[in-house]
Amino acid sequence: MSRLIEQTTPASPAAPAGRAELRRSKRSPNQPGRAAATATYVWLVLAAIVLLFPVLLTIVGGFLPEGQLVRRPPGLFNGHYSFGNYVAAWHETVVPLLPALANSLFVGLVIMLAHLVTSCLAAYSLVFVRMPLRKTIFWLFMATIMVPYEAIVVPNALFIRSLGMENNRWSLVLPFLANGFGVFLMRQAFRQFPDELRQAALLDGCGHLRFLCGIVLPSVRPSLTALAVWSFLQGWNMYFWPLIISSSNNSMNTLQTAVFALKSNGNGTQQALVLAGVSITLIPTLLLVIFGQRWFVRGFMAGAVK
Amino acid sequence: MRRPPVRETLLGFGFCVPALAGLGTFVIFPLFQAIFLATRGTDINGNPSRSVGLANFAALFTPEFGTTLLHTLLFTIFVVVVGVTLPLALALPLTQRLRGMRLFRTIFTLPFAYSASAASVIWLLMLDPSMSPVNWLLRLAGMTAPGWTTESPWALITVAWATTWVVAGFNLLVLSAGLAGVDEQVLEAARIDGATGLRGVSRVVLPMISPSVFFAVVTTTLTSLQALGQVQVMTDGGPNGSTTTLVFSIFHNAFENGNNDYGLASAQGLVLLIVGMALAAVQFGVIERRVHYR
Amino acid sequence: MRRTLRRGAWALSLLATVTAAAGCSSATSSGGSSGSNNLTAPGADALKGKGQVDITFWHAMSGVNGQQLQKLVDQFDQQNKGKIKVTLNYKGQYDTALAAYKNSSTKQRPDLMQMYDIGTRYMIDSKTVIPMQSFIDVDHYDASDLQPNIAGYYTVDKKLYSMPFNTSMPLLYINREAFQKAGLDPAKPPTTLDEIMADARKIKAAKGETVQYGFGATLYGWFVEQWNASANKTICDADNGRTGRAAKVTLATDTNIKLLQWWQKMVKDGLAMKLDSNTDNGDNAFSSGTVAIGLESTGSLGQFVQGAAAAKNPFTVATGYYPKVNASDTGGPIIGGASLWAMHKDDAAKERAAWELVKFLAGKQSQVAWHTSTGYFPISKAALDDPADQQWVKQKPQFATAIKQLEQTKLTYATQGCSVGEMPDVRKDVENALQAAVLQGTDAKQALTAAEDTANKQIAAYNTKLGG
Repeated sequence: MSRLIEQTTPASPAAPAGRAELRRSKRSPNQPGRAAATATYVWLVLAAIVLLFPVLLTIVGGFLPEGQLVRRPPGLFNGHYSFGNYVAAWHETVVPLLPALANSLFVGLVIMLAHLVTSCLAAYSLVFVRMPLRKTIFWLFMATIMVPYEAIVVPNALFIRSLGMENNRWSLVLPFLANGFGVFLMRQAFRQFPDELRQAALLDGCGHLRFLCGIVLPSVRPSLTALAVWSFLQGWNMYFWPLIISSSNNSMNTLQTAVFALKSNGNGTQQALVLAGVSITLIPTLLLVIFGQRWFVRGFMAGAVK
Repeated sequence: MRRPPVRETLLGFGFCVPALAGLGTFVIFPLFQAIFLATRGTDINGNPSRSVGLANFAALFTPEFGTTLLHTLLFTIFVVVVGVTLPLALALPLTQRLRGMRLFRTIFTLPFAYSASAASVIWLLMLDPSMSPVNWLLRLAGMTAPGWTTESPWALITVAWATTWVVAGFNLLVLSAGLAGVDEQVLEAARIDGATGLRGVSRVVLPMISPSVFFAVVTTTLTSLQALGQVQVMTDGGPNGSTTTLVFSIFHNAFENGNNDYGLASAQGLVLLIVGMALAAVQFGVIERRVHYR
Repeated sequence: MRRTLRRGAWALSLLATVTAAAGCSSATSSGGSSGSNNLTAPGADALKGKGQVDITFWHAMSGVNGQQLQKLVDQFDQQNKGKIKVTLNYKGQYDTALAAYKNSSTKQRPDLMQMYDIGTRYMIDSKTVIPMQSFIDVDHYDASDLQPNIAGYYTVDKKLYSMPFNTSMPLLYINREAFQKAGLDPAKPPTTLDEIMADARKIKAAKGETVQYGFGATLYGWFVEQWNASANKTICDADNGRTGRAAKVTLATDTNIKLLQWWQKMVKDGLAMKLDSNTDNGDNAFSSGTVAIGLESTGSLGQFVQGAAAAKNPFTVATGYYPKVNASDTGGPIIGGASLWAMHKDDAAKERAAWELVKFLAGKQSQVAWHTSTGYFPISKAALDDPADQQWVKQKPQFATAIKQLEQTKLTYATQGCSVGEMPDVRKDVENALQAAVLQGTDAKQALTAAEDTANKQIAAYNTKLGG
């Protein structure tokens, strides 16, 4: 499995450079003929229209006056644009977007940090510490990877409810602070660490914590970023859990559940307002997709084994 | 093997405690709770206070639940097949050295920025019977649009398509990354050989990017198996239950409409657990053996 | 990897045997509460010396209505500065709000909750509320200003359990311009199913640029309940659950079969638009001018008028009485909507603060503002006599229909609607029957019988839960 990660993770900075070199050295090795090029373009443009139109509808539709929405695709470009819906959506008090944004960031970041800490510590002891039951513990971690979250969402919700914690922001993240996959990923990374270096460090009287933080972690930085991105997105994209937890408090919405509330509040007659609101919730991820594709791939590729 | 020193052992366990505590409390322990809950019925205020024996398990062997499983299967198949082949059909031409390929790639990956709920809201509007631009185009072509979310086979396809639209964006990134690793001479050679079209792709290129394809299939399967937002936002399981998937059913029984049937939802969750474990076995056991590593 | 997984599964099952016996008790010890319906409500002194009391208010008012509610609550906060502060929480549509209520622990439940009419029986059964009557008695509050046939819905065992707030009836909505274009008189809207079909045919024949269908309404269970009331038919036994606890519903009746078959034909002939059970879509279909005849609550008039004016081809909205299945039907629509429930908390100050808000919202001034901005019927008799209200009604003749319809409806068991704890589920069952018949082509009687069976099972289960 670890080979798969190395294979698919474009983590090594050498790879793109190597490709570029190859391109330059060849005389347009992959340049198709005219007819083929035209066919390619036709196919790509068609696909682009289908895949892109909903995106345009989201963003441009939010600028249109209420009631003027589409029906005919060209209607999207009628020139009567205004920021009104965006302003209204932002100041909307029934479904406030700012707390939702804050909650989404909170969920993403806390889960990310927690995964990093819990996974690195556990993986370290599994790889570098001589202790009994090492394998049993490892299998236990692996077993948790196979449990789909939705299978246990009911007991967890009842547990949080019995604590009376639904109104607490921490209840959004509490069940997700540790992850078996994170442990696995870091374990694979730590195993690559040369044994001699470890012996040397230990002989030097280097304590475990210093050895971990000072020597091991810096050497596995690509894996750390991969896990960080993966974990953040896991939190950011959650829907089921925030939906049932935020059900008792609107200010507990994340962006994902706020979208549903927006739609429900738009009541079928305020489509432009809904679109403007949805567009606002999309800003963070749209920016990431446009400017940070590499990070996305890296993070999600880390999920390759899951 | 020498007995490890006590201090070392304590430290090792200590390091494992945070992860074990988190997983123990919120993954392993709830599994057993789920088994227990599956034997319970709720009172009218949603407290699982009555024992109902095996009634909830019996409810898993009804035609209704069979239909739910069937919907889940069809939904997953649609999303995986279309959600992997479509980006593949886009990623391959993108490898050619033509102007604008970067731009196209960015365009194709934009839908990936959408969460399930956002994509659902947009596609609902795209296919809204009273303002659908899609229906307008169909009418121009002289066709009558079906009731995208109101007719039986179409509703499931619509929900699956909204999912596919998002997933395809991500899979394009994955497959492109894979194709970037393939020697351009190989791609070129495949063309000159006359091994063009599907045959060339399946014989030469696919095996070389099989890890990426495998990865795309795995993540897409999991995504579609766990899809909730799409169904909940777009159709709420309807019309007449024809888009009710397993995860939606769990949500619906436990948390929607004041049902609070935590017992039935837990029993269905155990089915999901079995499906998840079976999938893990298939994915890692069968498919991985066929994936070619270079 | 495969080996690892297999061993992992083994490890897990080992753990199972260890913990299974010990670990299964905490799931049952969650929320819920006990309480009695004969509580004495806290008096006005409960707020004394408490400083600012914070209360939460869950509601299901979206769009224009939600904004108006916010305005009213802001006013209340202003008046009670330093004493009471209200946090409004929009919970989605009524169903979602009810689910949220049931899914919350006692601690997290609101202090005041808006609940739809069909949730009334459940709220009483839940024993989590303080009846409004207790407050009325403690305060010697003069409840004679409440519209009697509205208050009648929420009065059970001679106790007013909840304060009616947004009261609505279903209306027939028509697109005036589309009617004129088809040579129909918008002043004479269709009154029966047959007339709707005839008018829809004419509209179809003259179909304009935007109006594509003569008729289009959400497959909403509420409408079916209305049709039964209009036909003066009870759908539950024990006089719609008003003289005893209902145990059975009757859905596969001639009235309902006729209704479903009519709807099937409307869709088949291209006269009615195919819509699902999401009212958003139905609202959108009418306010965008896609359908010429629609059904909705009086509470939608405000946004319909707004939407119609902003539509691509702006039109004017006219209203008519809710249509009858047969011309001979003698009943009328159910006086429904939603009401406000005060929660029983272990905090007298919060309970009292909730009542203060209820008094404010039910008062004349609030009801005038509420009526004129949303179209919900005022629950205060004085509000209808208020000059501002009367002038507004004069300007909006569409509302006159609602007032007349309300006045003409006789209070019978049928027009009170079915009172059964599982009514939200029964409504869903009816919607499934509608969807099966209209969208999937199932035989009307078969679909209704299936719904009836499911509903009766659910009611039996609910009643068992109450007993045990």
